[in-house]
Order: sequence, then C-alpha cells, then structure tokens
Amino acid sequence: MLGRRHCQLFSVNTFDNNIIAPLGVSWSLDPVSELEQRRAVMTSSPKVAVYSLSDLKNTTDDALPNYLTSLKVAQNHNHTDVRLLLGYLAVVVSGVTFYFDYTLGFDKTKYWTAWAVAAYFVLNGLFTWWIWRVEKGIVFQGSVKGQKLLLYSRTEKHIPIYHLTARYTSPSAPSLWQEVQLQAPFTRWFTADGFFVAKPFQQWLASEIPPIGQADPGNVVEEIGRGDGSARAMNVQPGRVEEVLDALKDASGRMAGSQGARSRRKA
Amino acid sequence: MLSALSSLQPRQLAAQVLNFALVLSTAFMLWKGLSVVTDSPSPIVVVLSGSMEPAFQRGDLLFLWNRGLDTQIGEIVVYNVRGKDIPIVHRVVRRFGGGDTQLRLLTKGDNNAADDTELYARGQSYLNRSKDVIGSVVGYIPFVGYVTILLSEYPWLKTVMLGLMGLTVVLQRE
Repeated sequence: MLGRRHCQLFSVNTFDNNIIAPLGVSWSLDPVSELEQRRAVMTSSPKVAVYSLSDLKNTTDDALPNYLTSLKVAQNHNHTDVRLLLGYLAVVVSGVTFYFDYTLGFDKTKYWTAWAVAAYFVLNGLFTWWIWRVEKGIVFQGSVKGQKLLLYSRTEKHIPIYHLTARYTSPSAPSLWQEVQLQAPFTRWFTADGFFVAKPFQQWLASEIPPIGQADPGNVVEEIGRGDGSARAMNVQPGRVEEVLDALKDASGRMAGSQGARSRRKA
Repeated sequence: MLSALSSLQPRQLAAQVLNFALVLSTAFMLWKGLSVVTDSPSPIVVVLSGSMEPAFQRGDLLFLWNRGLDTQIGEIVVYNVRGKDIPIVHRVVRRFGGGDTQLRLLTKGDNNAADDTELYARGQSYLNRSKDVIGSVVGYIPFVGYVTILLSEYPWLKTVMLGLMGLTVVLQRE
C-alpha cells in the first residue's frame, strides 16, 4: 500500500517541475519489478540528447520501420529509391564532367560542359522537388494483409510533439484512402534520461492506426479500459489524480497544524 | 558517433553519402557554370605576388571576364605563361594587330621596373589574346583570397578541410 502511494506521488511531482516526466514510474505498482524493467530498457537502446528535437525525431523515425517490419509488414522503398537515383545521377554527371575537364582541358570541353551544367541543375531541381513535394516527410511505405499504408512524420520547430499522418486503404476498398492525423509528445516514449522505450510507442501506433492494430492486436490499448486487457497503457492515468491530491492535502494539513502551534506559542 | 553510422541500413547510409557527394558536386558545377558563362578556364583567381601594387595586394580575389576580345591598353589581364601553369596578373601597355589580324599584347606589372618580356617563354615576345590570356579583370575583393594562398602553401590543409567537411556532413542528420 505504501509502495503504491510512493509511486504516484513521485510521478505527479516531477510532472509539475519538468515537461519530461520519468516514464518508468507509472509502469507497475510494484517498485521492485519497476527497477528491473528500467534496467532492461537502459541496456537495449542508445541514449539520445533529450532537448535536441532532431535527435528525438530521427530516433523515432528510425524505430518506426523497425517495428513495422518486425510485424512482417512488407516495406516499399520506392520513394527512397527515386531520391537516390536522381541524386546519384546528378553526381555521376558532375563526375564525368570533372574527368573530361581534367584530362582534356577547358577549351576542348567547353561545349559539353555547358550542357552538363544545365543537365546537372535540372536533375538537382528534380531531386529537390522530389524531396520537398512528393516525399513530404514520408517515413514508411508498405502494405499489410492487402492494406496499403503510408506514414508521414513531421515536427514543428522547438515544440517536442511528434506529428504522424497515416494514410491507408482497406482490403475491401483498395482505391479509397483514409487519413488519420496523430500527435503525441515525445515524452510518451522517451524517458527523462533520453532512452527510447519501444513498448509505449508500439502501443500508440497499434491503437491509433487500424492496419497496424490489426497486424499487432496485442499492442492495442484503449484508455477507457475496454479492449484486450492484457497490456496496460504506458502513461500517467488521469483518473488517479484524486487520490494523489487527497494525499497531498493530508500532508500539507499536518504541516500547517504544527506551524500554527508554534506561532501560538510565540504570541 | 561512428556507432550511430554503423547502425544505419544500406539505403540510409547511401543517402548520407549522397548528401556529401551533392555538396561537392554542386560546388564543382557552380564553378564550371561560371567558367562557361565567362568563357574563362579559371574565372576567379588570387593575386600571389606584389607586382601590381598599389592596385592589387597579395591575397586579393579577382573576377575575370573573357568575352571582351578587343582588349585595350590599360586593361588588366590575367595570362598563363606558355608551358607553365602560373597565371600572372599585369596591365596591357602595348597592342599590335586586332581587327582582321591576331591581337597581340605586351604587358607590364605596375610595380615592376621592366615589362614582361623576360617572363614570357623563350622566343616569345608578345601575348596572343585568344590563346594565352584567360580573361580581363572586371572586379575584385581584397584579402579574401588569403585562404587559397594558405591552402597552396600548406597542401595538407586541403586534405584536413575536406576531411572535416565530409565527416560533418555524413554524420549529421539535421
């Protein structure tokens, strides 16, 4: 009973002081197993600089396809392949130009160099357009059980919230695209020390994006308490706040009482 | 840092290397583009000696234009001595020909006592405008070229700079 109280107080206190709350606290009510879980997390993933938004986003973006491919979702690399093709084609054009200019001299190659420069900047323009307009932050493209899935991520400058846009089709209507826009603060799956915790991230994805939920039903969690029941949602539950506030009131009441006695004695 | 690199998958590694390659190739292509527009093999040169003082000091950056083929006396030209690869920046003091015949020039550094006849190749008395001259000076920025002088006097600096640049571009993922 005492251990349980201790856990809850700890989580609310640090939530006040800091944007980032230690995630490990709300995992379980038993302090001993909580320590074991934290130890497990620390050995598995590398540490990330917690205030660097690009580090947070890149770690999350890297973890996403890893998780999905572990669920046997077939990943489509088209967008990356086109980008690499355009980029390396431009580099090859510049390499060939360099070679001929170096060996034959400027005067002989002037005419072809002019065309090569034009071709290079056209390719570079296409490359930039591809990244900017077509890719638009795509982190995953693939299909699972006949449902196509596209995931785009972005963050806004200096705000630690991860925005994910998921577009998917259902097997019964393969040309109808549905879109889901999600956001979650990075605190949901990063500890205060900067370790990435896979479980809450996977639960978030499985619960919010239907095709992933279907591929991984074990991770689907609903806040209300319905659903699978085998996994618990990994963040601070708003429902327990009342008990914590009662405990705080008792503690401050005791303190106020003793101070009042002292002042009476002085007067 | 390097462990972060090794944990990347092949496509991601290719994308990071591509970033570095694009930096280099864009710089090179911009240079070549400028070359083609000015019609000069080396459109930006650095002054290496003090022979044009007080007009140009050592370390000044000069911009060249090679499409004005009717060079006048008093223009400052950059030319390569036949057989050597050193560009020299001097002023035109005499011209012969032009129009139908080949334009030939005699140059002299402002700070030199004698004209450039001593500097030309053996048997050469004049410069051929179309063959030897790589452009006439149309603008300059003082001091900026000192970096190039340092790089040519300490060639290991070039490798160090390139290495550092490559490392930062490949390892960062901003």
